[in-house]
Amino acid sequence: MRRLQPYAIALLGVIGITSVIGLITSRASVQGMSALYLLLVLWLATRWGRWPAVVGSVAAFLLYDFFFVPPVGTLSVRGTAELIELVVLLAVALVTSQLASSLRRTRATSETLARESRALYELATEALRSSEVAVALAMLCGRATELTCIDRFALVAVDSGQPSALAGDALSAAELKQAGWSHENGRSVGIAVRDGAVTVMQTHHGAAEPAYLPLASGVAVMGIDGQVAGRDELRMLAALIGLADLLLDRRRAALESERARGLESSDRLKTAILSSLSHELKSPIASLRTGLTALTAPQAGLKADQRDLLVDLDRQATRLDRMVGDLLALSRLEAGLELDREAQSFADLVAGATRQLRTELAGHQLAVDLPDDLPLVAVDEVQAGRVLANLLENAHEWAPPNGVIEVGAAPRSGLLEAWVENEGPPIPTPDLDHVFDTFWTRRARGSGLGLAICKRVVEAHGGTIRAENRRRGPRFTFTFPLAPVPVVPSS
Amino acid sequence: MQRALRAGLSYHDFDVHAVGSGEEAIREAASWRPDVILLDLGLPGMDGFATLKALRPATRGAVIVVSVMPDEKDKVRALDAGADDYVVKPFGTEELVARIRAVLRRQADVTAGEPIIRSGDLAIDIGRRTVTVGGKSVRLTPTEYELLRFLALHAGKPVTHTTLLRRVWGDYAIGDTYNTRYVVAQIRKKLGDDPANPRYIVNEPGVGYRLEG
Repeated sequence: MRRLQPYAIALLGVIGITSVIGLITSRASVQGMSALYLLLVLWLATRWGRWPAVVGSVAAFLLYDFFFVPPVGTLSVRGTAELIELVVLLAVALVTSQLASSLRRTRATSETLARESRALYELATEALRSSEVAVALAMLCGRATELTCIDRFALVAVDSGQPSALAGDALSAAELKQAGWSHENGRSVGIAVRDGAVTVMQTHHGAAEPAYLPLASGVAVMGIDGQVAGRDELRMLAALIGLADLLLDRRRAALESERARGLESSDRLKTAILSSLSHELKSPIASLRTGLTALTAPQAGLKADQRDLLVDLDRQATRLDRMVGDLLALSRLEAGLELDREAQSFADLVAGATRQLRTELAGHQLAVDLPDDLPLVAVDEVQAGRVLANLLENAHEWAPPNGVIEVGAAPRSGLLEAWVENEGPPIPTPDLDHVFDTFWTRRARGSGLGLAICKRVVEAHGGTIRAENRRRGPRFTFTFPLAPVPVVPSS
Repeated sequence: MQRALRAGLSYHDFDVHAVGSGEEAIREAASWRPDVILLDLGLPGMDGFATLKALRPATRGAVIVVSVMPDEKDKVRALDAGADDYVVKPFGTEELVARIRAVLRRQADVTAGEPIIRSGDLAIDIGRRTVTVGGKSVRLTPTEYELLRFLALHAGKPVTHTTLLRRVWGDYAIGDTYNTRYVVAQIRKKLGDDPANPRYIVNEPGVGYRLEG
């Protein structure tokens, strides 16, 4: 019934206008009254589309011919002028109805588009405003299921390989697993999105199998009916999927920054504990050393043998201090604290380490052979200095009195390769694999920390360290990364 | 610690006044006018850095910061806050005495207004902008000279990378230690200094450079 309504209105309208024209022409002779029909046809075309307008045009043509074109009362036409008037009426009616109805279609399309984009805009603002991404995702899923072609819609997050349902309709374990597979392999199932346009691949109606679409940080799972899906709906779906992609990304970014904050605060805690611990352990050693060294001054008036005893005690205190330092350094490395990498000169590192150990090294010959143009390294100065100090200390312990301790370095395949060699006895072959183990030591008095620290520091910088027996004695070789040369060379 | 330190220093003929807090230190520095102040950053009460900042305008004496410092950044902070040198605990009395003597010597140099600064056989003539090693003239680029001059004006004192970068290059260069490392390597080469065992410009790990006084 409703579908016939426009045609009825068209016929009634034409009859009404025919009566009006009849009324006017019975009183005065007026030409071109047929134009009145055009108003009606135009209105019909814009309001109801082409066909009611065509019906209206034809009806107008017939009625006008019958009532007003001589011979009046018949459908035949006598004069050429009348014929032309009728043809023009029909042609104008058809063309205007065509124009008006296409205008109407365009307006309808743009209204749909405007409605869609308004809905999307509202959804997007709402989604981005809500601090809980989960709420926004649930809203999005709800909007998606409103589409007639979608009977289920769910979003799945894949965090560290584990898929978990985030929002939307419930999923079975098998579906979750399938979603995980889809994300892992970047393969979509039953649906394809290219250049922002959605294509449904499956055709069977009311399919039990949903479609899977992997996104940057998750998967969209949807029950979609390709036969019902119109162009407008697919466009809306594509937009919703795009928004889901954004929201899932935002969720992952939020998770990551939360994790980073957690790590940062645990780092701060570790630093605080380590610094307070080092204070607690080092303060008494500091008092000991100050007191012992004060008394060794000649002005203190002690006898030579008493002074020697104090000097020995101070040496022990110094050793204790170094061990505490090693332990703290090791726990710092264990805690995974950030390295403070900067461009450093390897020669400076050697100089710092030899200065620190000048009393120990006094009984040996130190041979440092570094090329003049050795490139800078990108290392944490304090930690890298510790590597050299520990290797030199190790060399000092094994080298024979007055033996040579050699330090060298050379750039090799994008790295700096450096070594410390001494003339001590070779390391037994089975031990070569163990020298860098924590608490492993070949001597009764060793702490087993020095070389373990070297290994960790070198590895924290992305380098390697190894021990080998050379002709003269054991050699420890390690690598450090080179510092990138700034684009603008200095002076 | 304080008692042992007082005894140790008095054996080396120093007059020592010891106080227990930052507030007392500031009062004592104003009334007793010491040549050198040893300031422990781990003070009870007033924070060590706050004491250092308050002391600086109150005294012409050199401030040597003493601390158990696991973090190198604290050294830089202390130097930036006006400390003349730092000693890390634990240390031997000999080492501390050597540091005290060095800052005293530097004070004397500054007071004398000497235009030629020497470090071993290296001589930097600030007035004439010339540098000589063992009497032989050394040609430096303007940047190299500026860096050496700045270290010379603070001979014996550690100068931080940040300070060097700001004073020699300008604020824009701060944070890029490649500049300082590279130029110091060039200067050492020209002065004939062995970088692995330097006589003139010494590296201060985690801090910067110091010209031996």
